[in-house]
Amino acid sequence: MKAARAHQLYLPNNPIYKGAIDSVRAAFAPVWSQTEELELAFSETEILWNAHPVLSEEGKSSDSLPWLFYKDGVRELTIVKGFENEELVKLLDILQRVRKASPDEDDLLTLLWEADFLTLRYRYVDLAMEPAAPLADGGEIQQAPPSEIQQATSAAVEESRAQGVVNIQDFDSTLYFLDEPEIAYLQEEVRREYLVDLRNNVLAILLDIFEQQADAKVRVEALEHFETMMVHMLAAGHFRGVAYLLREAQVAAERSRDLQPEHQRRLSDLAAKVSTPEALGQLLQALDEAVELPPTEELGELFLQFRPTALATVFSWLTRLQNARLRPLLEAAAGRLASASTSELVRLVGASERDVATEAIRRCGALKAQAAVAALGKVLTNTNAALRLLAVQSLTEIGSPGALQALERAVEDADREVRIAAVRAFSSRSYRPVLVRLESMVKGKSIREADLTEKMAFFEGYGALCGDAGIEFLDSLLNGKGFLGRREDGELRACAAMALGRIATIKATESLRKATSEKDVVVRNAVNKALRGVGA
Amino acid sequence: MTSTRSPLAADRGALNASAAYPDTASDSFIRRAGRSFIISLYGALRAIKLYPVENIAVQKALEETASHGRELVGSEGELEVRVSGEFIFLNATRLRLDLDNYASFSHLLSIFRATGVGSLHIAANATAKDWLILLSLLQASGTGQDSPAARYDLLLGKLQSAGVTSFTLGPPNDDDGADREQAKERAKRTYSQSVAVTKDLMHSVRMGKTPSIKKIKRVVQGIVDQILNEETSLIGLTAIRDYDEYTFTHSVNVCIFSVAIGKRLGLTKLQLYDLGMSALFHDIGKSRVPTEVLNKTSSLTDDEWRLIAAHPWLGVLALFQLRGAQELPYRAMVVAHEHHMKIDLTGYPRPMRPRQMSMFSKIVAIADSFDAATSRRVYQTTPLNPAQVMQEMRDNARRGMDPVLVKAFVNLTGIYPVGTLVVLDTFEFGIVHAVNPIQDMLSRPIVRIVSDTQGNLLYPGTLVDLADRNADGVFQRTIIKTENPDRYGIRVGDYFV
Repeated sequence: MKAARAHQLYLPNNPIYKGAIDSVRAAFAPVWSQTEELELAFSETEILWNAHPVLSEEGKSSDSLPWLFYKDGVRELTIVKGFENEELVKLLDILQRVRKASPDEDDLLTLLWEADFLTLRYRYVDLAMEPAAPLADGGEIQQAPPSEIQQATSAAVEESRAQGVVNIQDFDSTLYFLDEPEIAYLQEEVRREYLVDLRNNVLAILLDIFEQQADAKVRVEALEHFETMMVHMLAAGHFRGVAYLLREAQVAAERSRDLQPEHQRRLSDLAAKVSTPEALGQLLQALDEAVELPPTEELGELFLQFRPTALATVFSWLTRLQNARLRPLLEAAAGRLASASTSELVRLVGASERDVATEAIRRCGALKAQAAVAALGKVLTNTNAALRLLAVQSLTEIGSPGALQALERAVEDADREVRIAAVRAFSSRSYRPVLVRLESMVKGKSIREADLTEKMAFFEGYGALCGDAGIEFLDSLLNGKGFLGRREDGELRACAAMALGRIATIKATESLRKATSEKDVVVRNAVNKALRGVGA
Repeated sequence: MTSTRSPLAADRGALNASAAYPDTASDSFIRRAGRSFIISLYGALRAIKLYPVENIAVQKALEETASHGRELVGSEGELEVRVSGEFIFLNATRLRLDLDNYASFSHLLSIFRATGVGSLHIAANATAKDWLILLSLLQASGTGQDSPAARYDLLLGKLQSAGVTSFTLGPPNDDDGADREQAKERAKRTYSQSVAVTKDLMHSVRMGKTPSIKKIKRVVQGIVDQILNEETSLIGLTAIRDYDEYTFTHSVNVCIFSVAIGKRLGLTKLQLYDLGMSALFHDIGKSRVPTEVLNKTSSLTDDEWRLIAAHPWLGVLALFQLRGAQELPYRAMVVAHEHHMKIDLTGYPRPMRPRQMSMFSKIVAIADSFDAATSRRVYQTTPLNPAQVMQEMRDNARRGMDPVLVKAFVNLTGIYPVGTLVVLDTFEFGIVHAVNPIQDMLSRPIVRIVSDTQGNLLYPGTLVDLADRNADGVFQRTIIKTENPDRYGIRVGDYFV
């Protein structure tokens, strides 16, 4: 009793559990000194040994050991020596399972039967069974008279004697002995029987039924089973099966004759259901928290079946995923879905969830998704500077005239990083339509208040686009003297030098050479760098 | 649930023999070592038969046997090999038969039976030389004109003359007869309960209700236990061809045959259970076919045939109704779907997706074909002769049976299956009662004589072993032909209940 309770309450490595088991084992020793077999009888409230109660428990609950045996029909247990060492724990396991079992689950008798004890026997009354009437051949039958039977046997014997021999093949027992290769074949078949994935096998059968039977009732029944099995397989972590179902459902949708639109929709919905944020979120959470992940290829097969609607959830999980093994798979799924469904990707550029929008913007650029230009352009009005910066980068990667046009306003963005990124994009793409805007900026007052990096970016951008037309302005900045011979600010002159270096024409080089002996170190360095750049 | 309900297993005989067939992982030492010992004994017997005594193969085999014997005596304290019915016991433990050892078990059983030996006690000091003498004597004493009992006495004398004292031989146990009667009673109870539960199952499915899976499990457990402990009685009951209850008895018969074939193939107890469940459910799809079509006596229209041919896939859908199961019976679904498919997949339904027929489906297909062909049904009032059916399954590849499994089935049922009416060369009718336990006597079953030489029908008749010979060494009775029992008004089932 104590051992059963300890088994219920503690883990096997718990000292209290170990102590309880050891006590039971020790308690068997005096029993074996008296008898070879211990026979215990069960009533509703008592366990009896030699008709003497050894345990009484009044309650009829799953906590009562006598009741636990009695209610399922066990009336006697016979325990033989060795049980306490070899099979005690197995019995305790069973009792624990029975205690918790729902009415639908296996009862004590089935569990005892399956456990196949070596040192324990049991006698039971089968409460589930009704007495059955004995069987006999039915139907009226007319017995033949003895003369007919005698005639039949005589004729058969005479015939066989006349023939002299009998068909030896029928009598050669060796024909039926299994040889080594046949035994090997059977062993392999037994092995295969238990290796085959039964759920996939049944799915294949159901899919065949769906395709072959045009009857609407049958199809609805099969569809219901698909839906139920899919949930069960997801819950059981049988991802290959889910992937198989989703893949083959598509095949069935294409091949089935006279498929009603409603049935077609339900088939398609299977994949869509797995791709909903709720279902997919559950799945990814379970996988992320799993101590042991299913095989990579199995997950890969499932992820292949995600629909575009899964993209938002996948993006969202990419940022918070903890499991390093899962990440490359999810990355691959995200890449595949994004490239397969640009419209969904573009939609997600404007997603309210920042992680999703970030991932969508990033991937629009990586995929050079022309269709995303308008959405990305819209992001440039977003209040979040990081998103605007990402949008600039993506539009730059797309690099089409439309993308660069959308980018123009970014040179006047409120955020320095965005402005720099934008101007560098124009510079690298030699996008001349922005020149007017850039010229007004480099000639304007606001640039003078910017830091060196930004100034440099704008001047370099201007230099890359303006050509000789900009030399006069730049030369005046670098070499010109103002009122009382005063020169411009050193940083601005250095920027002009770098811009001239970008123009890189003879005229620009001449302008730079004029400043080679400049005393201001910052300017001189910029001039020398620009000259090196033009190869002078 | 109260104790006032029928106590069906209240006698001691119903004590579950759960210890009989553990899977390999949980095999005790004696089972593992015992199997090795029996295989070494078989090896030694073969070596002695094939080579001269001085041959190194003989010496090695004898040394191995002696060594295994010593090891067992050392660990168990004593060692006794005992044969009882179809089983070999080592001390009190019954050894498990499987695919790797069934030839050796069978040979040893044959030799013990032929020499009238029931038990062999082996002393710790049994040497290779002692074994050589014993095994040579066993080999030589197995043939002759006298009875097994006389051969046993002769063997004892020879062993004594040779001065071999490390073995003690004993005759077969007299309790075997009483045990067999008890087993027969248990078999009848198991069979009738199985039919009742199957009937209930089919009706429930037809009415759209959820059948009790617990009852079904218990029935299959009962069949597996019976087959493992004493299969002859239960297989004998499959000869009952209840015309009115065909659908249900057929399912039970297919379950029994399938489990028995599985046992021959060395499946574990739990694998047999899986197989039995699948077999019992194989025709569950018929409960979705209109009864007027199932019971139609005239020929079927194309539409009606299509309905009948739908039962495999209807079975799959019906099995989804078993919601009481913790897990859906997927294996049974596969078997229900495949059992008419044939091994080359040319049967029905035709699969659209790649598929390799399950071994359990192949087993059930054989059991199904055999029982269906040999039963009387509404549209088959004259059943085919079991022996002819067997021959057809063996020889006609178009039947789509797995030839190796057919062989295993013949090993189980004999060339003349249980229930076959045979004409003997003694001008008697006999009904095959059981396959001969002697492995090379498949065509000489145990037969119940049901008519005398004058043509008078006998009831209950007497059992004879067709392997028995007369004083001249000639078989006393030989089958010369099979016959249709209906033609002579012989109700085969009456001889089994």
